[in-house]
Amino acid sequence: MGKHLSLIIILLALAVFAAIPFIIGVDSFFIYYLFMVFIYIVVSQGWNLIGGYTGQISLSTHAFFALGGYTTALIWIHNVTHTWYYFDPLVMFLSGIVPAIFAIIIGLPTLARLKGDYFSFGTLAAASILQIIILRTTEFSGGAVGLRLPGGAFTDLGIYYWTSLLLVVLAIGAMYLITKSRIGLALRAISEDEVSASSHGIHILKYKLLSFMISSFIVGICGSLFAYYQFMVNPATLMSLDRWMFYPILICVLGGNGTLMGPIIGAFIVVTLFTFGENLVGRVHPMLSGILILLVMKYLPTGIWGLKEKVGLGRLAR
Amino acid sequence: MHLIVQALVNGILFGTMYGTAAIGLSLIVGTMRIVFIAQGSIIIFFSYLCFWLFSLFGIDPYLSMIPIVIIALLLGAGLYHGLFKEAAALQDRISSLLIAVAVMFFVENFMMVAWTPNPRAVVTKYGFYTLRLFGIHTTLTRLIGLGIAILATIALSLFLRKTLIGTAVRACSEDPEAGSLLGISPNKVNGVAFAIGIGLAGIAGINFATTYSFDPNYGFDVAIKALIALTLGGLGSVGGALTGGIIIGVVESVASFYVGMGWAQCILFVIFWLTLTLKPNGLFGRVVQKA
Repeated sequence: MGKHLSLIIILLALAVFAAIPFIIGVDSFFIYYLFMVFIYIVVSQGWNLIGGYTGQISLSTHAFFALGGYTTALIWIHNVTHTWYYFDPLVMFLSGIVPAIFAIIIGLPTLARLKGDYFSFGTLAAASILQIIILRTTEFSGGAVGLRLPGGAFTDLGIYYWTSLLLVVLAIGAMYLITKSRIGLALRAISEDEVSASSHGIHILKYKLLSFMISSFIVGICGSLFAYYQFMVNPATLMSLDRWMFYPILICVLGGNGTLMGPIIGAFIVVTLFTFGENLVGRVHPMLSGILILLVMKYLPTGIWGLKEKVGLGRLAR
Repeated sequence: MHLIVQALVNGILFGTMYGTAAIGLSLIVGTMRIVFIAQGSIIIFFSYLCFWLFSLFGIDPYLSMIPIVIIALLLGAGLYHGLFKEAAALQDRISSLLIAVAVMFFVENFMMVAWTPNPRAVVTKYGFYTLRLFGIHTTLTRLIGLGIAILATIALSLFLRKTLIGTAVRACSEDPEAGSLLGISPNKVNGVAFAIGIGLAGIAGINFATTYSFDPNYGFDVAIKALIALTLGGLGSVGGALTGGIIIGVVESVASFYVGMGWAQCILFVIFWLTLTLKPNGLFGRVVQKA
């Protein structure tokens, strides 16, 4: 009964979220707010896979996000697939594949030889190299100004909202399937004790690489959606270190690293804070955010969903 | 030819900035494995203190080293005992990284709001006295900066090797558990290490303020380059950190001479990445890399 109950709750929640635009009106601030929450949920779930479940702290999330967005822009501008482009599933799929390929390129040397901190630095270095390449190859990538997506103008938020909701469902569904499968077990084993895991016959590099690829695929598709939303791609917005690298990590840690519900809770809290913080407190909001992060890290390092385990409540979504 | 040598010399002198930043960072990262990404912003914070002491009270920047280092040591001890103690004990990377990021957000934003984003510089009467050695131009302050950096490195090396506390710091950085078995209190030792790390940030801040103009946003860039310097030099080696910094300065300067600043940064990150993949212990690193 417990399992069926959680399924019912999930379907109910989905129905509510899907129906909200009809009740409130598609162009309200609340819909925009939910849209941002959903985008952050997807990106954070992506990081959650490599950072939370596999224990490899990747600092290149923003690179994959930007790669996804730029792929969409370039495919559209150069008319590569001859489809209808705007919200085209094929383009979005390809925007996930390109970051996954880069994940292999970056991941193979880095994951094979580096552990812990050094892996994180390696990903950060690779992301910074990519950023400079984007900034410098002005012919191809538009440099600092970026590229403008050809095509219609922004009509209404509806299609973005429901696509983002769909992505949330797909991302969480994928994460659920992965974590419940043997792959998930392998990843969990790797994150806890690599030596023990490999002595049990788990091919460490293969699983780390797989996790890295899937993670970047998810993040890349989200980048594609964001590119559609902004109608342009440039390093300042797509590769923003704060928004697409630190926030997803913060969201996962705040909500509960390595859990399914964690990023969801975390995204709601963080997006609320930063959206309203920006509007209410203005210039000083990074300071307040900084203080908040400090308080959470000091008193709640397992995140909010981690509290549940401490307090001993049921077994919902793990 | 002449220009390249000038670029080389400029690179060495600028590299000592990164080196001084890296020395402080090496103590913190080496002992507690805390990637203290806020080091750069704190350096800029002390640059501002130096600037205000100079403009408001007329205190010579090198004399202000005494009060600033004292403030820095206290700040370092406070930061450790207030924020990083638990994360360091668990060797919890994510928590300590996020706390460091939070400190960076806070300090940067504070400086931007309190002191405006306008660039500042400390200009003393003797500061920009130019010297010409073999046809190469340098300014006096940059040479003093080099001197201070070398002195700080030597001082720190001696502290780590000859004093009892220094040896305790090194012991805990290699194996905290063994250290505590021997009766070393990890919190006390880490606190000292952190305090000295921030003290060195204070010195770096003064160096920076006297030689270059600065504004609140420089912090992150300095921190990243300090990290690269640290990796190049190797964790656990103080001289290595300074050397790493100088190498970075030289590469940046000479590379920008040939391919411009943008690609020079790219080359730096490529070197960073290659060092990590091929020689993670850096040039002089002695610490055994732990997972």
